[in-house]
This record gives sequence, structure tokens and C-alpha cells, in this order.
Amino acid sequence: MSDTRKIFSLAQVVSSIKKTIEERYQQTYWVKAEMHKLNVYPSGHAFPELVHKENDRIVAQMGGAIWKHNLERINKLFVEVVKEPLTEGSTLLMQVKITFNETFGLSLQILDIDPNFTLGELQRERDETLKRLQQEGVLNANQFLPFPLLPKRIAIISADTSKGLSDFMKVLTTNPWGYVFFTQLFPAYLQGDQASDSIQKQLQRIRKVKDHFDVVVIVRGGGGEVGLSCYNNYALCRAIVDFPLPVLTGIGHSTNLTVAEMIAYRNAITPTELADFFIQAFHNFSVPIKEARKLLRTYSENLLKLEKERFETAVNRMKQTAQLYIERKRGLILRTAENMRLTVNQGLTRKRTQLESSRSELKSDLLRSFDNQHAMLVRQAEKLNVNTAVFFERQQLQLEHLTNICHLLDPQRILQRGYAIARINNKVIDAENIPQGTVEIQIETSEFEVLAQHLATKKKEKL
Amino acid sequence: MKYTEAFEELQRIVKDMESGDISVDDLSVKVKRAAELITLCKAKLTATEEDVNQILKELEE
Repeated sequence: MSDTRKIFSLAQVVSSIKKTIEERYQQTYWVKAEMHKLNVYPSGHAFPELVHKENDRIVAQMGGAIWKHNLERINKLFVEVVKEPLTEGSTLLMQVKITFNETFGLSLQILDIDPNFTLGELQRERDETLKRLQQEGVLNANQFLPFPLLPKRIAIISADTSKGLSDFMKVLTTNPWGYVFFTQLFPAYLQGDQASDSIQKQLQRIRKVKDHFDVVVIVRGGGGEVGLSCYNNYALCRAIVDFPLPVLTGIGHSTNLTVAEMIAYRNAITPTELADFFIQAFHNFSVPIKEARKLLRTYSENLLKLEKERFETAVNRMKQTAQLYIERKRGLILRTAENMRLTVNQGLTRKRTQLESSRSELKSDLLRSFDNQHAMLVRQAEKLNVNTAVFFERQQLQLEHLTNICHLLDPQRILQRGYAIARINNKVIDAENIPQGTVEIQIETSEFEVLAQHLATKKKEKL
Repeated sequence: MKYTEAFEELQRIVKDMESGDISVDDLSVKVKRAAELITLCKAKLTATEEDVNQILKELEE
């Protein structure tokens, strides 16, 4: 089999490609791409991975190269303009030359990166984060949390070596009022690419023990003003607004506020100022307590004084009332006595007068009565005189009459006139003493006593 | 007792006294209670009860 194929060496191919590309891409180009990884080598050169994402999917990828001198220049410019070093994961506008290296292959040699574009990108991220939080209605969520009366248990997100942390702690621990704070450090990166994730991770840890804390602070300082764009990161800001405790920031810089600072419960320009805020909160708690003690004393004294006065007034009033009552009763008694005396006097006078008149009446009555009696007596006496004479006369007559009768009725005179008295056993014959048989009958006449014997008795016919 | 509760109760007592809602009968009880609350609140300002070990333990759970 004859070999008609043309065979190239790898060097020839690579050389050809290199030649083609160099001829085709002679100019430099401005390319927009996301720098996925910076990959700085110990040599000082960087070989970043550049990607193009659509809907979070990588649709194009290519390696880049930044030579040491370019990298240093670009970084310096970035820190000056953007206040950020070159940051992995950010979209950059780069001036590139398409190069082909025999051993490393195709790459984009990055000659320059436009800091103003990045600044715009960062501004855009900041604006987008703000807009999104606003749309989600959580922009002020953390600020609406109730602030603890005494924020004494503080979870601190900071770095061990941070100047900001030491400033913050110095104010809290050396305060001349002896206020004691409980603090616990949750170490995190405070700037640069890793800060957002790192801070979020610590927020999650604090959430687990949130009952031990009153507030969370994010404290940073002394690290210059670069690398703060992480505080505009949506995920971090969302984690802050959603946090169940107030999150306060003191990340110490003088440029535009980051979103995290805007949505935090409170932001202080420096960690020292933030610490002062806590001291002030303690004052705010302490002062009313001192005030309360003073007020308690004042009110107690006032109340007691008032009660004493009321009591005294009541006692006085009672005294006065009692006196008045006694006075009134005394007056009443005196008046009653006077009335009684007057009434008695009047009564006595009246009775005396009555008695007097009664006496004189009685006297005249008596006199009259005596006179009457006397007159009567006289009349009686006169009458008696007259009557006595008549009486005696009448008696004389009656006596004479009776004498006559007696004289007439004398049985001896009757017997003299021929009458006889028949007796049986000395008893007159009558219906009770009817003679029977041959009984002896004594017959008395005026001159004789005849003894006869009974023969017969016949009852006389009534006339 | 939480300092918020102590503080609020203290404020209430002071307010009651201020408005004259406390009678002389209650005065000594209320003042005694207020003194307790003041002591408690002052102690809160200068003491800490949190236990770091406990927090660390809970973090690991």
C-alpha cells in the first residue's frame, strides 16, 4: 500500500494554526466575559478562566492570560477606581489579543480591563439587589424587628485580626460605667470574593443559637476600602433581612453605603460608633432606672405627706365638728331649759291665778252655801216648829181615837152586851177546834163561867 | 425574669405612682417590689449569664 497521505508534524500544524490566527486576528478586541477563576501563579502571571453564561449555563469557555506587569497595573487601577481588586465571578470588559502558543494552545491575552465597566457592573449589582429586595417586600424586614431593651448579648461576625473588632471590643469592655456585654465571635471573611458566603454561613450558625443572643453585628475595619462589593450581594443581603435578630453593621468605610448597610437594622460608620450605640442603649436602660428610683422616693414622700395632711385635716375637721356639735347641743339644752323655765313659770302663774280665782270662787260659793244652808236651816226650824205643833195635835187626836176604839173593842164590854166565848180546852171554837162528842165546853159571859157538855155542832150557813 | 419584663414592671409602678393610683396601703409593697426590680435591672447591666460552652455545644448539635 503506497502511502500517498501527506503527514505533518505537530510542530508544523501548531505553527500553521499560529500563523493563521496571527494573520486573522491582528488587532486587539474588547470582550465582555465573566472571569470564573483568576488563577494567579507564583510567577505573578495569572491564567484566568473566562466563561460566557446564559441562564447560568456556560455556553462558551476559554482560558486567558494576564502577564504579571499587566496584572499589577490593572489591579492598581481597579483598587483606585472600583475600590475592588479583580474579583473572581465578576463580568469584566477586557481588551484581549487572541494568541496561540505552541505549547499552551489558544488563549486570550488580556492586555487591559476597563475598571469603569466593572464599576458600572457593581453599581448594577447593587441596584439590582436593592430592586429585588424591594420587589420581594423585605427591604426593611430586619429594621421592623423589635429592638431588645438591653442589647447585651452580641453575636459578632468579624475576623480575629480585624482592627474593627478590636476597636469595637475596646469600647464595650472598657466602658467606665461597668456595663457588661456578652460577646461571641463568629469568624468570617469580611471582604472579597469569599466574604458573602462566609458571612452567610456564620449567620446560619448564629441562627441555631439565636436564643442566646439579642443582636448580631458585622464589624470590619482597618482593611482599607476595597473588596466591599460583597455587601451588595443579593444572597447576603437577603440573609440579613431574613435574620430573626436585628443585624447591625459597622464595616468602616467612607464611600457609598452598601446594600447590606442600608438594609441592616442599624448601620454605624465605624465599629467604634457601633459600640457607642450599644453603650448608649445601656444608658437608655440605666437612666430610667435611676430616674425611677428617684421618682419612687419623690412620689412616696409626696404621697405620705399628702396622706398626713389629709389625715390632719380630717382630724381637725372632726375636732371642729365635735366642738360645733357640742356647742349646738349645749345651746339647745340651754334654750330648752330656758323654755322649760318659762313654760313652768307661765304654768305656775296661770295655775296660781287659777287657784286664786278658784279660792275666791270657793269662798264665795262656800259663803253662799252657808247662807243657803243657814236659811234652809232657819226655814226648817220654822217648819219644824209649825209641824211639831200640828204633829202633836194630830197624834193627840189619833191617840184619842185609838183609845176610843180600844174601849169599844174591849171583850168585857162585848161580853156585857150579851156575847159569850165558847172554848174547848181553853181554846176558842173555830174551824180548827170543832167540838166533837161529849166534850166539855167552857162558856164565858161577862158575869159567869159556864161549863157545858157538847151535844151537836152544825156548820152555820154563810150569809 | 427577663430584663424587659423587669423594666416594664418598674415603669408601670412608677407610672402608677405618678398618676396617684397607688394607695398608702400598697405603697410599701410597691416600693419594695420596685427596689427589687431596680436591683435586678442594675444587675442585668453589669452581669452576664450566657455560657459560652453551652453555645458551642449547641452549635455542634
